[in-house]
Amino acid sequence: MSSRRSRSRQQSGVSRSTNNNITDDQITDLVSKLQQLIPEIRNSRSDKVSASKVLQETCNYIRNLHREVDDLSDRLSELLATTETDSAQAAIIRSLLM
Amino acid sequence: MNHCVPDFEIDDDYSNSPSSGMGRSRKSPLMPDEGIMELLWQNGQVVMQSQNQRSHRKSPPSSKYDAVIPADMEIRSSQVQGHESATHNHQQQQQQHLFMQEDEMASWLHYPLVDDPSLDHNFCGAGLLYPASTCANTNSSDVRPAATTPPVSASASKPPIPPARKEMDSKVQNFVLFSRDKSRVESGLSTSKSVVRESTTVVDSNETPAVGPESHALEMAMRSSAEASNANLRCGTMSGGGAGTSTSGGVGGKEVMTCEVTVTSSPGGSSASAELLPAPKPPAEDRKRKGREVDDTECQSEDVDFESADAKKRERGMSTKRSRAAEVHNLSERRRRDRINEKMKALQELIPRCNKSDKASMLDEAIEYLKSLQLQVQMMSMGCGMVPMMFPGVQQYMPPMGMGIGMSLGMGMEMGMNRPIMPFPNVLTGSALTTPAAAAHLGPRFPMPAFPMPPVPPTDPSRIQQTNQPDQMLSTLGTPNPNQSQIPNFPDPYQQYLGHHQMQFPLHQNQAMVQPSTSKPSTSRGPEIPENHQSGRLLY
Repeated sequence: MSSRRSRSRQQSGVSRSTNNNITDDQITDLVSKLQQLIPEIRNSRSDKVSASKVLQETCNYIRNLHREVDDLSDRLSELLATTETDSAQAAIIRSLLM
Repeated sequence: MNHCVPDFEIDDDYSNSPSSGMGRSRKSPLMPDEGIMELLWQNGQVVMQSQNQRSHRKSPPSSKYDAVIPADMEIRSSQVQGHESATHNHQQQQQQHLFMQEDEMASWLHYPLVDDPSLDHNFCGAGLLYPASTCANTNSSDVRPAATTPPVSASASKPPIPPARKEMDSKVQNFVLFSRDKSRVESGLSTSKSVVRESTTVVDSNETPAVGPESHALEMAMRSSAEASNANLRCGTMSGGGAGTSTSGGVGGKEVMTCEVTVTSSPGGSSASAELLPAPKPPAEDRKRKGREVDDTECQSEDVDFESADAKKRERGMSTKRSRAAEVHNLSERRRRDRINEKMKALQELIPRCNKSDKASMLDEAIEYLKSLQLQVQMMSMGCGMVPMMFPGVQQYMPPMGMGIGMSLGMGMEMGMNRPIMPFPNVLTGSALTTPAAAAHLGPRFPMPAFPMPPVPPTDPSRIQQTNQPDQMLSTLGTPNPNQSQIPNFPDPYQQYLGHHQMQFPLHQNQAMVQPSTSKPSTSRGPEIPENHQSGRLLY
């Protein structure tokens, strides 16, 4: 737990309380960070958005992003198919697709 | 005297003479006069009628009782009747005598129902609602014994119930006690509860003691009569009117409180409940209804139990309101939490390789993953946009672009995402970069701590102090560029990033870069790029 805590601290940059239990503040902090990442909420953000809404929007957003990635991958593969194998373009595409 | 007679009539004989009750119950040594409940059982069953009312005529047809009684010996009805009659007399307290035929209901009477010695017979019917009414006071002792009598199957309770009901009002208090015990019974019926409530309130007023024992008895009865219990549940009525007599199943002849609880084990429970509710109110009416209620009140016992507690609360009055408000609040809070937890679980499923169990770290991962996803999408869309632009003419521009892309992608990788995007050293297969070697050279340098990138002013190609030469560029690019704000700070909108990317990477001749940038800023930058480019060249 402590290792996880420290790791998370480093990763997220959010200071966590030393105690083991995760305080509500931390959670709300994270939720607000998440909120900022989501364009939907960020643009029309009111002062308080309920955590449940943020989570819901996050899930939706992630699903959308997944879908976009899939779409783009498809497109890139098509493009790759049309370009010459050795072109830089192909390389790029390949890298993107990886 | 009606109660002496073993007839089981459900009519409200009870109401008639509370006093007479006692004699009737043959079996029930219960109160002599409380008249509360005497279960007179016909057919050899214990027919107890509340003393008050002499035999609860609740179950009109003895046949009904027969079926019931023999099965469970519940003298509920009698109790009920007793209740009603008890109302009159106040002796209810003692009424508790739930007399049940011990032989048959022996099991039914688990606990010492009533203190009263008179109450030796406990009605087996669990549904026996001790007639709170009359004997209310009888106190629980009376009731208890009766209650203890193993609640005969709910069905049995039927007969006794009606009579009990009568008394219910009066015996309300009995019911309270009664209901308490009974609550054990499956009563879940809310109705019964409500009924109980009413009864309890009433009961308390009248004679609480009687209720107690009854409730117990009812409980017992209820329990046993669980099956019949639906009626018992309904018995909640016991609680309701205290006349719970009906403890459905097991209620024996306890003096069911006036609770209308028509416990009667009969499945009519539902109906019973309905009856119960109104029952408590009008005592007199209850009596009449006893017959009906008895059937229904099966649930009493359980309800009674629960109800009694609730009833007590209610008795207090205000406290219930507050507690209810608190309950509501708790419920809503709990629901809110559940919603949030459920969404967190859904989120966790979306994040690949998320094995964190606590919320905070999971949210952390979600944030990072979201960022990397955004970056990836951006890269890919840029790549898509760029590709069409790639025509042989701009081949030469490719490498830088590729480099840039690789860089950015590498950066993306740095972000800690687990996406399949990998820095591609092989991007630099373009002319400018000469050889894959260069790319390779560049490759290793990719992993750069791109994450906290200093924000780079989008329009600042001059910053890029790079030589014109690919090699230099490569090296420069390859190495982490401390002085080169190549990568716009990550959290920034990716458009900026893209813009940057173009700004920086098309260092040399990247006009092609301009166009592909699909992001909006790039368009604005587009025109400048060439210029910058030119100048960049110079600068670089």
